[in-house]
Amino acid sequence: MLRALDISTSALVAQRTRLNAVSGNIANISSLKDENGEANPYQARQVVFQTDDSLSVSGASGVQVAEIKKSDSDPLYRYQPNHPLAIKEGKWKGYVAYPNIDLTTQMVDALESTRAYEANVGVMEITKNLSRETLTILA
Amino acid sequence: MKPIAGIQPPLRPMSPLADLAGNSARVDTSSGIDAFANVLAKQVQDVNTMQVDANDMVHSMLTGGDVNEAEVLTAVQKADLAFRMLLQVRNKLIEAYREVQQIQI
Repeated sequence: MLRALDISTSALVAQRTRLNAVSGNIANISSLKDENGEANPYQARQVVFQTDDSLSVSGASGVQVAEIKKSDSDPLYRYQPNHPLAIKEGKWKGYVAYPNIDLTTQMVDALESTRAYEANVGVMEITKNLSRETLTILA
Repeated sequence: MKPIAGIQPPLRPMSPLADLAGNSARVDTSSGIDAFANVLAKQVQDVNTMQVDANDMVHSMLTGGDVNEAEVLTAVQKADLAFRMLLQVRNKLIEAYREVQQIQI
């Protein structure tokens, strides 16, 4: 019975990781440089989940974060020739590379993981009440 | 303690239960008490470990540690449920003890 709580908790942790990735993406929506100070626009992070059998109980398994992938879609080019980071030569001369993050998609993602979080809290509530009710057999 | 021969026939229809009672009656009482005490002590120990773990996690969360609140609250809830279970078992045992104590001889 308590294992079911662990499974729901693993889902809560996973969804929270996804929500963290979304907040990172939105926070970095106009980051033009990477963590080393190079002029690489931020790449959106996508959290990939996988089944976690270490928590499995009677066929049900938990969930864990498999990896956090960097989206490899092309950056968004904006023509800003006077910008200090404007591209100096080639096809995109005079353009600045911005992160290719769609705010709408990110918000939908955030909403989706929030709803999934709520659903798992709901399951935990049911499991908890079930355990309490079972104890009344003995009382 | 031997099963009393006189009441054996009326108990026949409930033979699985009667067998059970017979088996437990044949158990050496001293080792039985030890085993029971050990089981109970282990249960108490387990529940205590869960509560100590939950306490540590709450402490870590309240002092700004890097823990997930969902995991902390689950640990607290699990400790609570385990404790309630132990409490019910204890209540049942005490109840059974009182019943036995009140048997008129």
